[in-house]
Formats: sequence, C-alpha cells, structure tokens
Amino acid sequence: MKKPILQAKNLTKRYRQGEAWIEALKGFSYDFPPGVTAVVGPSGSGKTTLLNLLAGFDTPTEGEVYLAGNPLHALGEDDRAGVRLLHAGFVFQSWNLLPTLTALENVAFPMLLKGVPAKERTERARALLAEVGLSHREDHFPRQLSGGEQQRVAIARALALDPLVLFADEPTGNLDSAAGSRVLELLVRQAQGERRVVLVTHDPEVAARAERILRLKDGALIEIQERP
Amino acid sequence: METLFLVVRNLKARPVRSLLTLLGILVATASMVLFLSFGEGLRKALSAEMTKFGPQIRVVAEGTGTFGVPNPELGPEVLSTLKAHADELGIARLFPAAVMMKGSGFDPATTFLFYGLPEGITPKDLAPAAKVVAGRLDPHPDGAVVGKQKAEQSRLTLGKTLRLSRKIALPIVGIVDAGSGFANSFIFVPMKTVQEALNTTNYSVILVYVKEGYAADEVAEKIEALIPGVDAQSTTEAVKYAERAIRIGDVIRFGISLIALIVGGLLVANTVMMSVYERIREFGVMRAIGARRGFIFRLVLFEALLLALSGGALGVAAGIAGSQVVNVYTTHAVGLALSAVTPRLVLFSMLVAVTLGMVAGVIPARVASRISVIEALGRV
Ligand SMILES: Nc1ncnc2c1ncn2[C@@H]1O[C@H](COP(=O)(O)OP(=O)(O)O)[C@@H](O)[C@H]1O
Ligand SMILES: [Mg+2]
Repeated sequence: MKKPILQAKNLTKRYRQGEAWIEALKGFSYDFPPGVTAVVGPSGSGKTTLLNLLAGFDTPTEGEVYLAGNPLHALGEDDRAGVRLLHAGFVFQSWNLLPTLTALENVAFPMLLKGVPAKERTERARALLAEVGLSHREDHFPRQLSGGEQQRVAIARALALDPLVLFADEPTGNLDSAAGSRVLELLVRQAQGERRVVLVTHDPEVAARAERILRLKDGALIEIQERP
Repeated sequence: METLFLVVRNLKARPVRSLLTLLGILVATASMVLFLSFGEGLRKALSAEMTKFGPQIRVVAEGTGTFGVPNPELGPEVLSTLKAHADELGIARLFPAAVMMKGSGFDPATTFLFYGLPEGITPKDLAPAAKVVAGRLDPHPDGAVVGKQKAEQSRLTLGKTLRLSRKIALPIVGIVDAGSGFANSFIFVPMKTVQEALNTTNYSVILVYVKEGYAADEVAEKIEALIPGVDAQSTTEAVKYAERAIRIGDVIRFGISLIALIVGGLLVANTVMMSVYERIREFGVMRAIGARRGFIFRLVLFEALLLALSGGALGVAAGIAGSQVVNVYTTHAVGLALSAVTPRLVLFSMLVAVTLGMVAGVIPARVASRISVIEALGRV
C-alpha cells in the first residue's frame, strides 16, 4: 500500500471550556490528493484547528493523521517536529520570519536545522530567493521588507527542504490585492508533482485558485467541491 | 557551533541590555578575582620569604608565636647544650641573636625591630641573598645596618643616629637589600648592644642551619625533646601554619564575593528570562519549522553561557589590572606584593563564571523549550 502523504481519519478535537466541551473539529476524514486544496468556512468553523492537527502542532482528541507516511497522532512533540522539518513547509498570515536574521538567513534556517553544510545552504537559499524575485533583498532584515516581500521570503523558506506538503494559513490576509495576488500566484505554482498545497482562507477569490475546496461548518466537513 | 551565530545575533539585537549584563558579571568576577588574589599573594610572598630566609629552624622560648617577636628568654646554657649536641642532632651551624622591638608595633613607619647579631655574623647569614645598597654589610663593632624597605619607610639614611634606649645610640653605617620582606624591615645591630639595652645576657633566638640530608621539622622535634622549655620552629612548620590561616581567609573572602556573584547570576537569569519572554513568537516559528526542544534549550543556555563567559573573561582581566594597582600600593606600604592572580585563580574564576551561566540559563532555557507552537503563534 502507498504511504499516505497527507491523510486524516476521523480527526476530532475537543476543547474543555469550564464545565462544557467544545467540539472544534468533528470526525474529519480526507486523503489530500496532489495539487492545491483550499479549506474554507466562516470564522470559528475549525479551519485553524484542522491545520494545527494536520501539521502536528497539536494532537487530536480522537482519530488519525498521517504526514509523509508518519502517524503524527502517535508521535511525541520532538518526533512531530522532525517530520515537519523534513516534509512540511509553512506560510502563516503574519510573523513568519525570525527578526534577527536576514532574508537569506531566514531561508537557510530549515537547512541549518537539518545540518546542511553552510556553503550549500547559502547557495540554495540564494536560488530560492531568486525564484521568488527577491535577490536584491538577500541581506535585508524582515523589518526592512514590505508585507508582500516578507510573505515571499516565507514561501522561499517553506520550500528550502523541498517539502511534500505546503501549509498556508490566510497567507494573503494582511496584504493589498496586488501583493496578495503575487503571493497567491507563487503559492499555487508550487503545487508540482506529488506536492500538496493546503490553503486555509475565508476569501472566496483566493479559494477560487484551488483545484478543490473543502468547506467546514461548526467543525464538520460539509462539502467537497472539485473544480474543473 | 551553528547555534552560536544565532545567539550572538540576538545579543546584538539588544546591545544596551547585553552590555549592562556583561558589565554586571564583569564587576562580580573582577571583585572575586581581586578578593582571592590576596590569599594567593600571601602564599607567594610567604614561600619566597621562606626560601630567601637562610636558617631552617629558629629556636625560641616556649609561647612565642610562629611569626612573633621572641623575648630574650634563652639562657646561655641553651646555646651550649645545642652546640654540644650539634653533630648528633644534624645541625650544620648555629648562632644566637637578641631581638628588641621599639615603637607601637601598629604603624610600620614608627616601629623599629633591632636584630642583634653576634660578632662574626652579618645579615648575609640570616638572608643569604643580602646585598649592600649603601655603606657596609657588617654592623660590628658599633653601627646599625638598616634593611632597605625599613630605610625607605622611615626615611633612614647613612649617618643618621638610631636610639635603642636613653643611653644607647648607634649610627647607621649601612643599608642592605636582604631580598626578603621580613629581613628587609629589620635593623641589624651588634648583639651585645641589644643585650645591653635590654639589660640581659640571654638570647631571644637561636638560628639553626640543618645539615644536608636532614629534615628540618625532624631536627626541630629532636631539639624540643632535648631541651625542655624551648620551641623549635622550622620553616616548613611555619609555612603550614600560615597556609592554614590564609585558607581561612580565602573562605571568608570567597564568602563575601559570593554575594556579588549571586547578584551577577541573577542579572544573567533576568536578562535571559526577559529575552525568552520577548521571543516567544520566535521560538514558536522555529518549532513550527521543525526545531526540536533541545535546539531551543541550547540556544537559550548558550546565550546565558556566552554572557557569563565573556563577562567572566573581562572580569578576570579587570581583576588582574586591579591586583596590579593594589600591589603598587602594598609594595610601597609594607614592602610586599600582597595580591597575585595565579593561573589556578584565573581557572577557578572562569569555572565559577561558567557555573554561574549554567545555573542562570537552565530555567529560562527550560521555559523556552517547553513553549508550544500553537500558544506561541497565537493560533488558539
Ligand atoms: N484552545 C482552545 N480552547 C478552547 N476553544 C478553542 C480553542 N481553539 C479553538 N477553540 C474553539 O474551536 C472553534 C474552532 O476554532 P478555529 O479552529 O480557530 O476556527 P477558525 O480558524 O475557522 O476561525 C471555535 O469555537 C474556537 O472558539
Ligand atoms: Mg483561524
């Protein structure tokens, strides 16, 4: 049997709130195919909860989740971090970059964690920054970059170790439409080969760029919409 | 160390705070180095003293302190007994001396220690390294030869007159550099003059050179067994005694500097803890990307260690500089370089600094490594 690259089985997350329990995610099951998958839904519908579980930031109350064949639900914190490092890349809405490192060093950071030699790191980080059109910003610190540029550096960094899955949570939420569409363009372009791109958004225009849309409501997956 | 550059980046990002913390550790370490350098200085001075001082045993009346000025309580029969048994005891050579102190004893400038040597004995027999600075070496028949440091301290020059009692006075006929702190503060005079001034025919001390192949402390024991009522003090015994006193001083001095060290340690802990709280999001991003807990732990611990190590190194340097300043002063005042920063003191201080960094860094490092990604990134 083929190893599941990104698969959730009956994924459930409950939070305790005083006496009551809140079911933030209810029995979510889905085997993500290659390409761009958007996750949409109103605020509080469980999008962030789902992403936290798929990425191994948090552990499910029930159910299973596999990333690059690894059962995240059964692994400890450090093992999940190890799986993330090798197989997943992240672009958050904001606050993606390490403020004391330059753009180039930020992109090289995952390679530093993995133990890639310095020369190789720098070479690859240069190439990745060139790919997102930021060669002229290599030595700039995050605070010297615009919001759109910061997101593009984050994309370059997410690609550093050539991940199987790319997670993006409202990546254009803080950007104007010109910068936003450029970032979105870049993200969509990364869905090549076996790679899965998971795009969490509440913006229908952003979701329209995906090949399929998963709709959440009150923690439940209520619709899977395949696009031509 | 790949993480080291991240640590340096972070410290550089908050230069004022990093510098102030560094300064705190610097002061704490420097004060410890300086405090402990006194013990080391005393040890060094003592061992230099003991090797420069010729006779290995001094025989005094019982009840005289190890470094005390002996009273003239040894009768002539003590000398004759020792002379008679010299060969079997292992004594190569011996001579008596009569010692008299004039002045307060508190202020070195107005305290005079007259060291009466018998005919035929010069300061060279007491301190083999002695060299004449001015005039002559031998105080006999009726002069005084002043130790170099005593001369400087009390402004004594050739030709001046020193008064031992109302009736007895001697002209200064020589200034001598005895090469040793003790002997350099003596005033050497003929023994009969001191005995006359004290109105006695007794001796204060009998100085003994031990034959080659004999151990000074064993010979001293045999002398004490042979002659009741005398105390034979060997230099090895004196060194042991002084070493114990210095060690007690060390413990007290370290205790005092511990306060400064604890304050320094709290400073590091506070700085690092603050920087951990400020960087919760950063650690969240690192963990999200795939950094393990140990990586974050090391990052924070190294920050504390780097602060403590560099502060410690600078503190040791400052302590060495301070010790030199102290020595300029004490050399002038008492003729001894009282402070010494020995290699083992440097090593000990660096060890203390590193331990400080470790202890101060462990808790913040633990806190940082336990931050969860979702809380750090506000993804709740
Ligand atoms: N740590 C938590 N403790 C309690 N309730 C939570 C926690 N995280 C999320 N929730 C609740 O779970 C539901 C889903 O939240 P979330 O996944 O953030 O939705 P979305 O990202 O779609 O806005 C919400 O009702 C939210 O209040
Ligand atoms: Mg959300």
